[in-house]
Amino acid sequence: MLRIALAQTAPRLGALEDNLARHRELLDEARAGGAGLVVFPELGLTGYQLQDLAAEVALRLDDPRLVRLAAATRGISAAVSFVEESGDHRLFIAAALMEDGEIRHVHRKVFLPTYGLFDERRFFAAGDVLRAVPSRLGVGVGIAICEDFWHLQTPQLLALDGAQILLNVSSSPGRDLAARNDVGLGTATSWRTLMRTYAQLTTSFVVFVNRVGVDESVTFWGGSEVIGPSGEAIFSAPFFDEGLYLVDVNLEDVRRERITLPLLRDERLELQVRELGRIIAERAGLATDSTADAGAEPGLDVAPAPRADAAAEGAPDEPIRLRSRRR
Amino acid sequence: MTAARPLPVDAAGRPLFELPDELAIDTDVARRVIAGFIRGQLRQAGFERCVLALSGGIDSGLVAYLVAEAIGADKLLCVLMPYRASSPASRADAEAIVTDLGCHSELVEITAMVDGYLGRDGEPGAGGEAVLDASPVRRGNFMARARMAVIYDRSVTFGGLVVGTSNKTESLIGYTTLFGDNACAFNPIGDLYKSQVRQMAAAMGVPTQVIAKAPSADLWPDQTDEDEGAFSYPLLDRILYWRIDRRRSIDELVEMGFDRELVERVERLVATSEFKRQVPPVAKLGPRTAGVDYLYPRRRPGSARS
Repeated sequence: MLRIALAQTAPRLGALEDNLARHRELLDEARAGGAGLVVFPELGLTGYQLQDLAAEVALRLDDPRLVRLAAATRGISAAVSFVEESGDHRLFIAAALMEDGEIRHVHRKVFLPTYGLFDERRFFAAGDVLRAVPSRLGVGVGIAICEDFWHLQTPQLLALDGAQILLNVSSSPGRDLAARNDVGLGTATSWRTLMRTYAQLTTSFVVFVNRVGVDESVTFWGGSEVIGPSGEAIFSAPFFDEGLYLVDVNLEDVRRERITLPLLRDERLELQVRELGRIIAERAGLATDSTADAGAEPGLDVAPAPRADAAAEGAPDEPIRLRSRRR
Repeated sequence: MTAARPLPVDAAGRPLFELPDELAIDTDVARRVIAGFIRGQLRQAGFERCVLALSGGIDSGLVAYLVAEAIGADKLLCVLMPYRASSPASRADAEAIVTDLGCHSELVEITAMVDGYLGRDGEPGAGGEAVLDASPVRRGNFMARARMAVIYDRSVTFGGLVVGTSNKTESLIGYTTLFGDNACAFNPIGDLYKSQVRQMAAAMGVPTQVIAKAPSADLWPDQTDEDEGAFSYPLLDRILYWRIDRRRSIDELVEMGFDRELVERVERLVATSEFKRQVPPVAKLGPRTAGVDYLYPRRRPGSARS
């Protein structure tokens, strides 16, 4: 049995000291409540819409403030997220697994959304590593940050690398208010679909912790959840309310589910690698694409459709090629 | 780069103002960029004329010269909007600028509008009894917004865009009135520090007395910005330049010889006035929200007045 504490907090934007203090309080509260794992949201130490504040609140991994926070994790595991400054002065959105007084692992957000209302790539560098790590909980833990979960490979790789608990720490802005879906918020509906699907396909626990509160225009919706390895929600936190939610899970559920449904056992990694290698070479124009449309440019699978007005204008039937094909 | 010109001097041969080395700009290049900017803004908006609030101070004075250089004085309307307590010298300086440029001008006294709300001589106005005791800052803000209402009204009758006249220094420290003197269609000098405004004004032939006098919001007799804020513009400009443009830390500024207390005070002014420099946030609710994920240039095909 593991008690997980979901710290659905409302970080204060740019107020590192305040947020550190709040993390320490909640860590104590979680420990007093019997939790073995406490999960804080993405950029819980700094707030999300940092823009140029990012460099001002960035922490090196040896920063005494971070080291002191890690020191407070004796007898407990914690996922804590902040802006990390690397030795070469790149800024990452990072989440650390802290256990027994030290930083065990740091995940640097791999997928930085830079579209719609997001502008992360302007301010941050993207991480290059996805690893599941062993933990004092007795199972492997895989950490992902928000957008990382909007790419199939993230939960898959983490599960294949040994994770039985997938943590997703988020600052997901709520948007697309709608009465037509069951939770009234388009963003939440999408997330819930993803988490249930990933939990089922990876036969792992998915722990989602999303912040609440407001930065500038956006309101973060909370709705943190724990999903069991069969894809069923074990707990769903309320939307928009700050709180520390304690959830009990039975880690034995992973074994039961994986015996019943041996999806991970049956994954075909060598096939995946082989096909990915082929697609990469074809996209680079280095190999003939056997599955491409006739007339497609090197590196592209699809040829442009003939223009609807081509006949009327007396244009040639063949799409115009930008350059000759190298074959 | 053109060689730095010597600073203009007064009758006794003293420089009219102090220009810190690091703030000196190539005024020829700046004039060219700003003239193109003004013409571009007007073209994209479908306008040919400009209006501006001319106080007789150096900021609005410089903008008048810049606009006249960019589009011709015949396409510029300067509106003089004194209050009864405004300094007569300011009005004389504004008139001197209008005469020198040969632009259009109008005089709109705001006294009746302002007193109509704030009251006068113990007689309450529309704002009621309590407004009679309004602080000078509150009164000043109201006057700035009264001028804004007038200049936007005159922009319609003259058919011109309202040109902003706030400089970078006052914008950064928040020494502006939100939706008052900082309201405009575009601002050609918002990225020039006060010291650079003086350098530009000297290069463009703004009257010497306008350049040399102590900057003032002219809210009460003998008020000056530097007395009110207890700073000097060249020093303030240098702090802002090193801190913001050159990204130096507070500690680094102290090492450079700046007074820590002053640097920290400036830091607070900048941080507390961030809201004055930005469009107010809209609560994000729908799939696309103006300013958040509905992002178009202010001026795009189809946006010009036809």
